[in-house]
Amino acid sequence: MASYSSRVRSDIARWRQAGLIDAATADLLARDVEANERKSLSFGTILAMLAALLFGAAILIFVAANWDAVPRLARVASLFAVILGGYVGGAVLKTRDHAAIGEALWIVAAAAFGGSIALIGQMYHLSGDEASVLVTWGAATALAAVALRSNPLTVAAVGIADGWLFLKGFDYFTRTAFPHAFVIMAVVLFAVSFWTRSQPARHLIILSLLFYLVLLAMHQATLPVAIPLVIVSIVLFAAGVLAPEPVDRILQLDGYLPLHALLGFLTGLAVIQFELADQSTYDSGFTIASVIALAGIVGAIVLAGRESRGLRWLAYLGFAFELAMIYVVTLQSMLDTAGFFLAAAVLLGILAIVIIRVEKRIRGPATGGATA
Amino acid sequence: MMTGKRLIISALLLALVQIGFLSSIIVGRAAILRNGKEVLLKIEPVDPSDFLRGDYIILGYEISRIPATMIANIPADKLSSDDTSIVVRLKKGADGYWTPTTAWFGKAPMPAAADEADISGHVTQGWDLREEGATIAPDYGIERFYVPEGEGMAIQNDIRVRPFGIRLALASDGTAQIKALVDGDKTLFEEPLY
Repeated sequence: MASYSSRVRSDIARWRQAGLIDAATADLLARDVEANERKSLSFGTILAMLAALLFGAAILIFVAANWDAVPRLARVASLFAVILGGYVGGAVLKTRDHAAIGEALWIVAAAAFGGSIALIGQMYHLSGDEASVLVTWGAATALAAVALRSNPLTVAAVGIADGWLFLKGFDYFTRTAFPHAFVIMAVVLFAVSFWTRSQPARHLIILSLLFYLVLLAMHQATLPVAIPLVIVSIVLFAAGVLAPEPVDRILQLDGYLPLHALLGFLTGLAVIQFELADQSTYDSGFTIASVIALAGIVGAIVLAGRESRGLRWLAYLGFAFELAMIYVVTLQSMLDTAGFFLAAAVLLGILAIVIIRVEKRIRGPATGGATA
Repeated sequence: MMTGKRLIISALLLALVQIGFLSSIIVGRAAILRNGKEVLLKIEPVDPSDFLRGDYIILGYEISRIPATMIANIPADKLSSDDTSIVVRLKKGADGYWTPTTAWFGKAPMPAAADEADISGHVTQGWDLREEGATIAPDYGIERFYVPEGEGMAIQNDIRVRPFGIRLALASDGTAQIKALVDGDKTLFEEPLY
């Protein structure tokens, strides 16, 4: 698939040939495209990261094996050497224009720190739980991300925080409190991500917060969590669609705020629907939630679907989920389901006609000429 | 973009801070091993299905279950435990093993006598303190013993047929550090300082 920049470049060449623009303008445009080209992950970067992750996993598993052929002080010393060599060596490579390999080395160093904590725990038989080890490791990784201003290390810190949330969230057996501290971690890491210019970390944090809220709804009250989530999602969606420029200047999500908001909206409503599903025969709550969900999906497509293909696909996915959900829940009376679907079909059909007409009208003048 | 030299310097500082942090844990633990008061605790048989996980043995002690009646400072209106620290006073028995005599939430009101030692642990929230025969289960951070890969199973089987013990070093604040796993009179694994 051709990237946007290469497509624009071929367009510029065509416009130049057709005489629409002169050579100077063509040159300016081409240079502007090049300057603003979004740096996408290259194959080499991905391979370097994969190698780093494998190396890190090897370190951790080597520690776990507790191999007594190597004296443990030698094991500690070699892990310390990997930490030192990884951070400093990575920094040297980064300044010499090998950014990808440098960042990969930093990831290895961060893994070696985690391995060192595990090894010390093993040496002194510390029985502190894995969760507190993850907190220390995540804090050290976040510190490294700040000190080195590294995007991958920020993502790694978020990943470790997620691991902590996962361990705590599914820890039904011991008497641990619900991991509310995750919200603090998320806020801190979100702030860190601005300094490290890590947009992927921000996306991951938002998704993780949604996961946290689902866990919270499962463990504790459902509706008091889900209803505010739906409302906040609607507000964020509106902000992202109505004032995209200022909102994105603050959050720097590359215009993906509406997509996240839609996901939050759908998640919240799904939680509400699951909660109200078994009382759907005598209570209209489920029906209301379903109507809101369908209306929200349609609204999202109308308001933001044209700019974002990802949002459209999420909306279609949510729509399919809603249909399945409604069908399963109202299965007890096929006639009701049929009636609901018929009404929905008619409404959506009308909406479809409206949308098609609107989109045609918007596009109409644009197709008129290249001079516009 | 950070300038080259500054990036390398911050990487170096970062590595030293992290290594320093890790080293301080090692030094602290080694200090307890070297200077701590030595006590011997009997290991209790643990449910075999839960006994060996991967490369460590789960250890249970007599002090892993403290009767609520042993805790000297429970306020009259307290029905269940807070998330708090606990101090358990140990006394050496005739057989060489140390057993609990009294326990306090928070801190001990008076220092331990010469033939006594304090171990500090952590209690989670919500243990019943009022029911007849109620016990609480503190953690002391000594509930695991790591063994070389593959050696755990044999020890696990032996512990079920004869008494094993754990020799601990106790810091003055009650922090416990495992020193050795003993099988009767024989020391199986003795931990070096480092």
